[in-house]
Amino acid sequence: MRAAAAAGALAALAASATAQEPLVPGPGAELTQAKCAICHEIGHVTRARLSRPEWEEMMRVMVQRGTPLTPDERRTITDYLVTYYGREAPSPAAQAASAQAAAAPASDPVAQLLNRNACLGCHAVDRRVIGPAFREVAARYQVDAAAAPKLARKIKDGGQGAWGQVPMPPNPGLSEADLNRLVDWVLAQR
Amino acid sequence: MKESARINDLERAARSRRRAFLAQLASLGALAASGRALPQTAPPPADPPGTVANAEVLAAKAPSFSAHSARPLTGSVPAEWHDFDVTPNDRMFVRNNLLTPSLDPGKHVLRVSGLVNNPLEIPLAELKKMRAFTTQSMLECAGSGRSAYQPRASGTPWPATGGMGCPTWTGVSLADVLARAGVRPGAAHVAFSGEDFGVVPTAPKVIRSIPLAKAMERHTMIAWGMNGGDLPRVHGYPLRVVVPGWVGSASIKWLSGIEVLDAPFKGTFMDDSYRIPRTPVEPGGKMPADAVTTEAWPVKSIITLPGPGDHFKVGGRLFVRGSAWAGESGIDRVDLSLDGGKTWTSARLALRGDKYAWRRFTFEAPLDTPGELVIVARATDDKGNTQPQASTWNPLGYFWNAMPRVGIVVDKA
Repeated sequence: MRAAAAAGALAALAASATAQEPLVPGPGAELTQAKCAICHEIGHVTRARLSRPEWEEMMRVMVQRGTPLTPDERRTITDYLVTYYGREAPSPAAQAASAQAAAAPASDPVAQLLNRNACLGCHAVDRRVIGPAFREVAARYQVDAAAAPKLARKIKDGGQGAWGQVPMPPNPGLSEADLNRLVDWVLAQR
Repeated sequence: MKESARINDLERAARSRRRAFLAQLASLGALAASGRALPQTAPPPADPPGTVANAEVLAAKAPSFSAHSARPLTGSVPAEWHDFDVTPNDRMFVRNNLLTPSLDPGKHVLRVSGLVNNPLEIPLAELKKMRAFTTQSMLECAGSGRSAYQPRASGTPWPATGGMGCPTWTGVSLADVLARAGVRPGAAHVAFSGEDFGVVPTAPKVIRSIPLAKAMERHTMIAWGMNGGDLPRVHGYPLRVVVPGWVGSASIKWLSGIEVLDAPFKGTFMDDSYRIPRTPVEPGGKMPADAVTTEAWPVKSIITLPGPGDHFKVGGRLFVRGSAWAGESGIDRVDLSLDGGKTWTSARLALRGDKYAWRRFTFEAPLDTPGELVIVARATDDKGNTQPQASTWNPLGYFWNAMPRVGIVVDKA
């Protein structure tokens, strides 16, 4: 009985994973991924085909729902969505851009880590978004000899109180290597 | 301890399956000349502390339950797995707007404020000492059936069936709690808020309000029990609202706040979602400015037996079972067709149950010719409203209530 339920749960999760189609590469794809996937599966985006006014309305609602966005970021994401997830099939220009993006070498591993873990949803290099700027973090830990392990623990386990009452979610899935890569990068942002 | 170990195992297994799937997806993507895939499929950020993991929620669901989205968590079982008079917990649909919070019932307090003479703070244990009752009531997500709309609407892709359930609920009448607080003149709406929260702290709370008349209807309740036990955590433990027959979003889960207002609550879950045009708009068109908030579900039915594609033998008998409901009305009749809707016969209705419970129906017929056969059901409520062939398109894809169809195969004996 329990085994059957467990198997069902796994099947259900797997079914949900099959609904996950990655975003079409193009200008703004990584930002769109980083921002939208904070709160919901990217499938909610890839399923949709909307006109520009509809995407603009959707972005307005998503900002209402708490998405942290600068006006520039909002414009970039809206343009990306209208181009690649418009009501009509992608334009030839969009398809060309997509092919070009696919041919380009994989971007910097740190950039990928930041995107994949939605770090940029709450942090930016040089200003506060929801969490502190990476630069502020680097500055605070500058004089601390044990900075790297402390920061690694914060990234992995999450935390609250060091920068305000807004909690940082944990990232338990990060490997040691990725964690170290991120820590080194953050501490270098002075 | 054992329980949490099991859940960790489940999560690990689910994660490794997911990794395997993603790896497979990535290799497919690398093969594709078009290179449509991003270098990596991004896993969403981890759930913050104080939440219940999806794997734990899904482990308590039936094998036929499928998740339509993992964040926010949504899922349902299709109609052929709803062949019960009372929906069991493991078949009840899930529709979160945010995360599933893990709450301590010992610390749970219900606050009543706004246009009342005596603002209240009632600990859960004290609330449970009030006069309680149990009733069977319908709950259905506004977007239930959304996938059937063309052109498609954005939002959770609910399949054409599923997204509803009719369990029994135990709790107190909201009217009794409001009477204790003393509703002041000028009150028009009652708003509810829960303890669920989002991944980012900027995510607003899910707050919805209902008109005072519906709030005072005695079946509208504050429930702590479902099907004889505590509410499961994903269904609102330890406390929720049940606004029977209305769109599910009115029935706020993890309830901790009630506010009596002089007008509908203003907020994104009232003004941006759960809205429907007053009069039909062109399919694919925009939401008109004078759209209204969704309230009671229109008349609807599902066929729960047989299932799509079931095989039968000539000379045997066909048993059809199903359920019919209408938000604020009773069900007067259900007609059945075995030829795709050309000819109709009345189904037998079960006795009327609780006011907001669905009404079960049965139908029986000999199977004398081989071939494919399409069963169609058509429910009519006590105000004369009948299910349509296809529901009226609307921008957010709500209220799909078309006649259900199930195709079966009759084989030669």
